[in-house]
Amino acid sequence: MSITAETAKAHAHDPAVLCCRAEAGITIEPANLEDPAIFDDLVDSGLLNLDGCLTIEEVLGAKLTKTCDSLAPLTADVLDGVKAPSVSAPAVEEEVAQEAPAAAAPAAAVPVAAGGMLKIHIGEGKDIDLEIPVGALGGGAAVAAVPAAAVAVADAAAPAAAVGEEKIVGTLTRKHFNITEVKRGPETKIEGTTLYIREGIEADVIADQELVKDFKLEIITPELYHTYSETVMDVQPIATKEGDDELGSGVTRVLDGVVMMLTGVDEGGVQIGEFGSSEGYLDENIMWGRPGCPDKGEIFIKGNIVIQEKTNMERRGPMAAHTAFDIITQEIREVMKKLDESLVVDTQELKSIRRPGKKKVVIVKEIMGQGAMHDNFILPVEPVGILGARANVDLGNVPVCVSPLEVLDGCIHALTCIGPASKEMSRHYWREPLVLEALHDEEVDLCGVVFVGSPQINAEKFYVSRRVGHTVEMMDADGAFVTTEGFGNNHIDFASHIEQIGMRGVPTVGMSYCAVQGALVVGNKYMQYMVDNNKSEAGIENEILGNNTLCQEDAIRALAMLKAAMAGEDVKAAEKKWNPNVKSTNVELIEGACGTKIDLVGNEQELPMSEKRRLKYS
Amino acid sequence: MNNERLNYGDRIIYMEGVVVEVDDCSISVDLKGRLGFFKAPKRMFICDTEPKVGQEFGWNMSFPEQLGPEINEHYVSNIEKERRKKQEMSKRLDNKEV
Repeated sequence: MSITAETAKAHAHDPAVLCCRAEAGITIEPANLEDPAIFDDLVDSGLLNLDGCLTIEEVLGAKLTKTCDSLAPLTADVLDGVKAPSVSAPAVEEEVAQEAPAAAAPAAAVPVAAGGMLKIHIGEGKDIDLEIPVGALGGGAAVAAVPAAAVAVADAAAPAAAVGEEKIVGTLTRKHFNITEVKRGPETKIEGTTLYIREGIEADVIADQELVKDFKLEIITPELYHTYSETVMDVQPIATKEGDDELGSGVTRVLDGVVMMLTGVDEGGVQIGEFGSSEGYLDENIMWGRPGCPDKGEIFIKGNIVIQEKTNMERRGPMAAHTAFDIITQEIREVMKKLDESLVVDTQELKSIRRPGKKKVVIVKEIMGQGAMHDNFILPVEPVGILGARANVDLGNVPVCVSPLEVLDGCIHALTCIGPASKEMSRHYWREPLVLEALHDEEVDLCGVVFVGSPQINAEKFYVSRRVGHTVEMMDADGAFVTTEGFGNNHIDFASHIEQIGMRGVPTVGMSYCAVQGALVVGNKYMQYMVDNNKSEAGIENEILGNNTLCQEDAIRALAMLKAAMAGEDVKAAEKKWNPNVKSTNVELIEGACGTKIDLVGNEQELPMSEKRRLKYS
Repeated sequence: MNNERLNYGDRIIYMEGVVVEVDDCSISVDLKGRLGFFKAPKRMFICDTEPKVGQEFGWNMSFPEQLGPEINEHYVSNIEKERRKKQEMSKRLDNKEV
């Protein structure tokens, strides 16, 4: 198929191949050329050989000296009047050109040094310091020019100071209480670092929901990690608000060293959990330390819920399981509210900082919204609670804007039970790495987080993604992140979100697990900046809980990529097939540019090798 | 990647099937031509309208190929555990009904 002049321009440096038979004597136009997008497949299958092939920009306007068949690569020996290739501008040059305007505001804040040296510090992105003697700028009039320049600086400084000032729009204090032992006792209480859970609480859990037929509570200490377990549905922090504080502000009390873990089956013994599962020995199936997972050494309060037969595939089944399990968490929360301040081992203050004048960015997090095991409770009263929350499926999956602090305070109670390796559990949001990184990055102004569900039907997918586009437009954002969990038809709206934001001129970085099995179903021209969350060696859904979820290293890469995109730098196109080296090269580039070391997280290779994995992946 | 282990992986066939069950989480499809049945998560189906029983779906697939003769004992033990658990649970259900 021939290409248009526009495509030819976009692919100026790609090989020029005839799309159909062309007679000697014609002048090469875009209409004579094939779309370079299809070349990879043709080269792979041996139908096309691009050795010696000229680029599109070289051949346009040249005269064909020999009649050639379709799909013939154009080489110098069949053409007359080939143009010299243009050298693409070196990246460094472009960087400076793009960065200079951005530096205007900070430059104004820097005084003209008395020594006659104008110092410009470009804080945006690359830390470029320019030192230019003032004399070189003003020539002989340098001395006279100084007062004038000073006035100009003073004028500029007033708005610049207002623009440059950081504004704290919210604070959230986390008070940590340490728990080293969890026991059963006559009442739920915390004594020192021991948490007691009331004996017989199981009956309350069963009585709470009609669909809950049985319940068993287990305390898993590190010695018991090698215990067989059903599919893990969720991992949740145990946290509560102090007094009347609202989620996302004020004080949150949290227990360290212990997490809630929910597992479940229906009365027929069928796992609650989409399909496939991470059942097996806990220590072989959990990727420790992932944002959504338990950390090694933590105690699990593990509940196994049995729900009415065949309700595992209905929305009400998993919802009942989560609601009933929260009875225990809520009882612990009530106890935590009364804890003495002297037991606080650590206090952490999280600040939501706006940085006017810096590039404004927004994080759009796509969450599952297709149905039963693809649902999330949004904005409960208590961190990762149930009460007060609305399911995003009931909200029609439309975008819901929240503050970064609400995310970190557990505004999402995840009901999602999709593939274990890529699902974001409740604890993931509590420790969301992208929100944390963007919030702490002094070069960007994180304006908020938008949650949007992924409906089942395409028409609804496009309905919600258009809302996302308009939402971001209203924010006047300079850049956006779109993240998603799992893979499947949610990649359709993931692509659509990026398109809707991208077509409004906002560079957008997409983040998802893709690699081999989660390869994207669709794409569009705005999907130029993509970060793969994959960590597994083989690039697959390896059934290890949390293995392929978004981690700090992904957040750092995404931020660096968005900054490059906002500065107008080119990001190389992805390779045709998944290549893990792209990630390591990017990490090295960032380390080189920032002078910091990025610690990469491990993957399934460091877990005790189960027989299952040894056979499957060796 | 892993598909290098397949000998016939490029034999792609167009298939059709009929939806026989839809629940909040999954869609079940009978393959036309008595070629079997499968059930998969909703998120793996691409739908323009609400999926309903009786609708037809189409997709490309290839032949599942055995990756080797080894039996993975871990899976066997999981399957056995699952079977025993289901047996116990159904016994419990029966007793309750009595």
